Amino acid sequence: MVGEEHVSMIPAAPSKVWSAEVNGQPQEVLSPSNAILLDVLRDKVGCLGVKRGCDMGTCGCCAVLVDGEPRLSCLTMAQDANGCSITTVEGLADGAHLAPIQQCFADHGGSQCGFCTPGFLITSQALLDKNPNPSDEQVACAIEGNLCRCTGYQQIIESIQAAAAINRGESDLAAPSSDAHPDPHPSGPD
Amino acid sequence: MSKDYVQQPGSNSDVRVDGKRVAGKLRFNPPGSGGSRPEMAERDMEFIPELQGGNEAQPAGAHSHDKYRTGTTVGKRTPLVDAKAKVTGQAWYGDDVRLANELIGRIVRSPHHHARVKSIDTSKAEALPGVIAVSTGADAPNKFGVLPVTKDEHAMAVEKVRHVGDLVACVAAIDEETAREAASLIEVDYEVLESVHDAKKGLQDVDDPIHWRGKYHIGSTNIQKRVFQEFGDRSNLEDSHASYSGKWKFMGVNHGFTEPHAVVAHWDSNGRLQLYTPQQVPHYAHRALATVLEVPMHQVNVIRTFVGGGFGGKSDPFPHEMCAAILARKAGRPVRITFDREEVFWVNRGRHPSNIEIKMHADDEGKISGLDIDALIDGGGFASFGHVTSYYNGVLATAPYELGSFHYTGARVWTNKPASGAMRGHGAVNTRCALEVGLDDMAEKMQVDPIDLRLANLLPPHSKTITGFRITSNGMRQALERVREGSNWDEKFRKMPLGKGIGIGCGFFISGSGLPIHWDPNNFPHATVHIQIDMDGGVTVHTGAADIGQGSTTAVAQVVAEVLALPLELVHVRSHESDTSPVDLGSYSSRVTFMNANAAISAALDIREKLLDAASEILSTPSEYLILNDRRIYNKRDPAEGISYLDALHKSQEDKGALIASGAYRTPPMGGVHKGAAAGLAPAYSFSAYVAEVEVDVEMGLIKCTDVWAAHDCGKALNPLAVEGQIIGSCHMGLGQVLSEQMVYGRTGHLQNPNLLEYKIPSVHEMPNVTPIIIESCDPEGPFGAKEAGEGPLLPILPAVVNAVYDAIGIRINELPLTPDKVWAAIAKKMKLENIADANDLPTPRLDFSELQEKLLQRSSEHAKRDVLRQRSEDTNPYINGVLFGFDPNIPPEEQDGGWKISVRPDSDQIENLGLAGSAWTKVEQRHMGGEN
Ligand code: FES
Ligand code: FES
Repeated sequence: MVGEEHVSMIPAAPSKVWSAEVNGQPQEVLSPSNAILLDVLRDKVGCLGVKRGCDMGTCGCCAVLVDGEPRLSCLTMAQDANGCSITTVEGLADGAHLAPIQQCFADHGGSQCGFCTPGFLITSQALLDKNPNPSDEQVACAIEGNLCRCTGYQQIIESIQAAAAINRGESDLAAPSSDAHPDPHPSGPD
Repeated sequence: MSKDYVQQPGSNSDVRVDGKRVAGKLRFNPPGSGGSRPEMAERDMEFIPELQGGNEAQPAGAHSHDKYRTGTTVGKRTPLVDAKAKVTGQAWYGDDVRLANELIGRIVRSPHHHARVKSIDTSKAEALPGVIAVSTGADAPNKFGVLPVTKDEHAMAVEKVRHVGDLVACVAAIDEETAREAASLIEVDYEVLESVHDAKKGLQDVDDPIHWRGKYHIGSTNIQKRVFQEFGDRSNLEDSHASYSGKWKFMGVNHGFTEPHAVVAHWDSNGRLQLYTPQQVPHYAHRALATVLEVPMHQVNVIRTFVGGGFGGKSDPFPHEMCAAILARKAGRPVRITFDREEVFWVNRGRHPSNIEIKMHADDEGKISGLDIDALIDGGGFASFGHVTSYYNGVLATAPYELGSFHYTGARVWTNKPASGAMRGHGAVNTRCALEVGLDDMAEKMQVDPIDLRLANLLPPHSKTITGFRITSNGMRQALERVREGSNWDEKFRKMPLGKGIGIGCGFFISGSGLPIHWDPNNFPHATVHIQIDMDGGVTVHTGAADIGQGSTTAVAQVVAEVLALPLELVHVRSHESDTSPVDLGSYSSRVTFMNANAAISAALDIREKLLDAASEILSTPSEYLILNDRRIYNKRDPAEGISYLDALHKSQEDKGALIASGAYRTPPMGGVHKGAAAGLAPAYSFSAYVAEVEVDVEMGLIKCTDVWAAHDCGKALNPLAVEGQIIGSCHMGLGQVLSEQMVYGRTGHLQNPNLLEYKIPSVHEMPNVTPIIIESCDPEGPFGAKEAGEGPLLPILPAVVNAVYDAIGIRINELPLTPDKVWAAIAKKMKLENIADANDLPTPRLDFSELQEKLLQRSSEHAKRDVLRQRSEDTNPYINGVLFGFDPNIPPEEQDGGWKISVRPDSDQIENLGLAGSAWTKVEQRHMGGEN
C-alpha cells in the first residue's frame, strides 16, 4: 500500500470450478478464475504445507509437483493446473511412513527452521524420480531455484544423496552415524 | 522403510510386509518395563567422559556435569525432535494458523520518508461492504520498544511517519481482496517533512528530529545513542612499529528468513487475547502487547508458532502484532495478517549500515598496543536493539587478542529508513571484519604470518579482557591451529598464482547476555524450565525457549533425556505457549543452549534425585551406588540388582502424584563497574577461526569463494549435527553479506530492492565447500560444557574472504559487499596507477619473513603451554589483559601505570579530535542547555 496507485481489487474475478487430483484425492473447489495455484492449494484445498515465501518465483518454497513436474505454485494459474494430478509435501509420505527423502532431510540436518523444506522436498523428489543417481552438481542444479537461509545447502545435498542411496537400495534407512534415536518400539518380541 | 514397502491392502495385521510395525498400531508398553524392547540398552561408553570411566576423550579436562552423563544423547548426532513435523508439512508457521471465522488484516503504510500525519479519513474504507474493522494510531497511543530504555514505537503512526512503509492504519475484512481494497481507500493527509537518509547527516542539528527525547535529547540532532570508552595507556601509540588505518563502509543487510512475518490474533470467549506469532522472543511481545492494549499480561497468551527463520529479525515486539490484536478486539473475530515479502523489508531490523574507522598499532614485538574504533551506525526509524548495538560495535572487538589500549567512539543515529536492529552476530560483525583485515595488513607490514601474529597475541583461558569481560573457556588457539592444518595454509598463503587466494579471519561472540534487560538478575533468573512426569513415565518439559530452527527444543530435550537416561522419545518439550511455559527471554544473543539447557539440567537433577531416593529405598542400596541407564536404575556393582525407571517413578509418586521440578539459571556476578560495563558481558564466549579460499576473475571482478575451513569453539557440541548445521548456515549468511547482499537506497532515499530477486542471497551455486571443525573447550559453566554456536560462526567469514581476495589480487577493498563492479573498479584503478595494461599482469603479494616471525613463533609456543595449563585448571593464577605488556594481574592496571585510563566520557580537550561517530560528543544534551527538564 505504498504509493498512490489504486488498482481496484474488487469485485474479485468470477468464481470457477477448479478440479484436480491433489495427493491422490479428487478435489473440486470454487475459486476465482484468476487465482494462483498456491492460494487455491492453501486456502481452498487446505494444503498448508505449501509455503509462500515471496510470491514472485524467487524462493521455491511453494513448489509442488504438477503431473510429476516441479512447478512454482505462486507462478502457476490455478486454471492451468485444472484436471492435473498434483503432489504437495503432504503427499510424499505413505500414510504415517515417511518417504526416504523426508526421512533423510530429518536425519541429516536438511531441515532447520523447516520453512523451505516442503519446496526442497518436492524439487528433490522430482530429481530423484528422473535421475536415481545424481552427482552433487546435478543435485545443485536441481535445487538452484530453492532458497534456504538456514542450512547453507550442504546438509540438504547430503540428505538428497542419502535418500538417493536408499532409493537405489544401497543403504537402509538408518539414523546417522551414531544412533541417537533408539527406537523404543522396533518390531520384535514384546 | 525399505523401498519396496507396500501396505497390505485391507489387512488387519499390524505388521508390514517389510517386518516393521504399522504406525498407529504400536502397542505402547510401559516404558520402564522395557517397552517393546525388553532388554535395557548397554551403556554407550563412547559417550561417557573418560574421567568417569568411559571412552570420550576430554582434552580440556573435567566438567562438573560429567557425573550426570549417561551416554544417552549428549554428543551424538541427533536429528531435530521436530524435524518430522517439518518434512511432512505439518509444522504450523504464522500464516498456517487458520481459525474459524477469521478475517484478513492489511496494513496501510506511509508513502513518505518523514511526514506529520494531519488527518486520516477512514470513512470510505469503513463503508466498503465486507470491511469489519478499521483502526488508526488513535486507538493505541502507548509507546513500546524492545528495550525498556528506548521505547519509541507505536502500533501505528500517532503523530508522524518515520520511513516509507511505516504503519499508518489497518483494516480487517472478510477476504484479502476486500482488505487490500479497503486499505487503499484510507485517505491520509500528510505534511511532508525534511528527511534524513545519510547517517552522517544524522549527526547534525535539524529543525525536526525524527524522535524527540526531551531532556535527554542530544542537541537537536538525530543521535539516538553515543558511546565513548577508553581503556589503557595511549600515550606512546605515535611511535608504533606498524599500524593500520582503514575507513570502512558496510551496507545494511536483511535477515532474509524464508517465512514472512504473519500473526493471528483472537480474543477468546473469556476476553483473553490469544496471539499466534512466529516470535523469537515471545516474552517481549507479551510485555509490549499488555502495554499497548492496556490489558494485564495474564490476560494475554502469546502462542509461538513454528518460526520460519529468525536470525534476530523476529525478536522485536512488532507493531503489526498490535494491529492484529486491535483489529480482532474491534471486530470480535480472529484476524490474520500476513506480510508480503516487501513488507518484511519495511520492518527490517537487519544489520546496521555502518561507517567504521579502525586504527591499530603494533609494537616492535608484534604486540597489539592500540585499537581505536569509531563506528557510526545507521539505525533507521526506530531504536530497536540499537542501544546495545552501539556498544557491541566496540566492546566485542576487545577479544580474543590482548590489547595494549582500547579506544572506542560509537554513535547510532535515526534516519528515515526502515529500522535496523539485531541480526545474527549482533553488532560484532562489521567491526570484526575491519579489525581482522587490519591485523592481516599489519602482519603484511611486519612481514610475519597473520596466523602466527594472532597466535602470539591471544588471551588465555580464564582471563579478563581489557574492559573487564570474564573469559572462561577459550578454544581460539586450537581453532587457529586446526584451520591452518586443514587448509594446508603454509603451502598456500602468499604462494598462489594471481586470482587465487587464501585468507584468515577470527571471531569472538557472547554466549548469552549477562544481564536480563527487564529485571534485576538478582531478583529473577534468566531462564526457568519446568519438568513434569506422571504415571505413564512420559516427561513433559515446559520452557519458553523459542525454537527458531536452531534446535533449542532438541537441545533441551537432549539434556533432560541425558540426565534421566531416557530415550528422547519419552521427552516432550512444550514451548509454544506463554500460558504454560515459564517466563523466558527467548532466542537472542545466543543464550538458549547455555541458559535453558542449564536450567533444564537443574530441573532434571531434581527429578533424578527423587528417582534415586525411591530406588535406593526399594533396593536398600545407598543412592551413590546406583546408576541410571536406559529406563533402569541399578547397582553399579551388580547390574542385576536393579529396578525399572517406572517402578522408581511410581514409588516416588506415592505421596505426591506427578513428579514436578523447576530449574533455573542465573548468571554469576561479573564485569566491571564503569558505565556500559554490562554491554557485551556474558557468562561465556565463543571463539572461531576460518580460512577461506577464493578465486577472483581479474577481468570481471567476480569473486567465487571455493572452500572454507571453519573451526568454531562451542564448548561442547551437545548435538554435532546441529552445530555443523549452524556453522555452515552462518557461513552462508556471512558470505551473502561479504559478496552480494545489500539493501540499496536510491537517490530519493527509497529502498530499491525489497524483494528476493534483487536482494541477492547466495544460492546453492555460490556456496563454497565448507569443512566444519568443532572445537570443544569445555566451558566450566556451560551445560555439559556447551557454549553458543548460532551466531559466532558468522563473524570470521567476512574478513577471511576479504583477506583472501587480497592474497589473490593484492587489493584491499573496504566497502562491502564485494560486488564485481566494485572489485573491477578497484582493479582498474590499480592498473591505472601502476601503469599495468593487462589485468593478468597484476602483481600478487608475496611474503618474506622478517626476524619478528621467529619471535612470534617462540612467544606463541610458550603461550600454547600456558593455555593448556590454564584450560585444564592446572594453573589457576589470575590473568588479566595487560599481562603480556608486563602488568601484574593481581593489581588493577590503573594503579600500576599512571597513564592507564578508564574513561567513559571524553575529556574536554579530546572532544574536538574524535572521529566521525565521536563527533556526536560535540553536541550537548538538552538538560545541560536548560532544555526540557
Ligand atoms: S512463493 Fe513461490 S517462489 Fe517464493
Ligand atoms: S531450513 Fe530455514 S530456510 Fe531452509
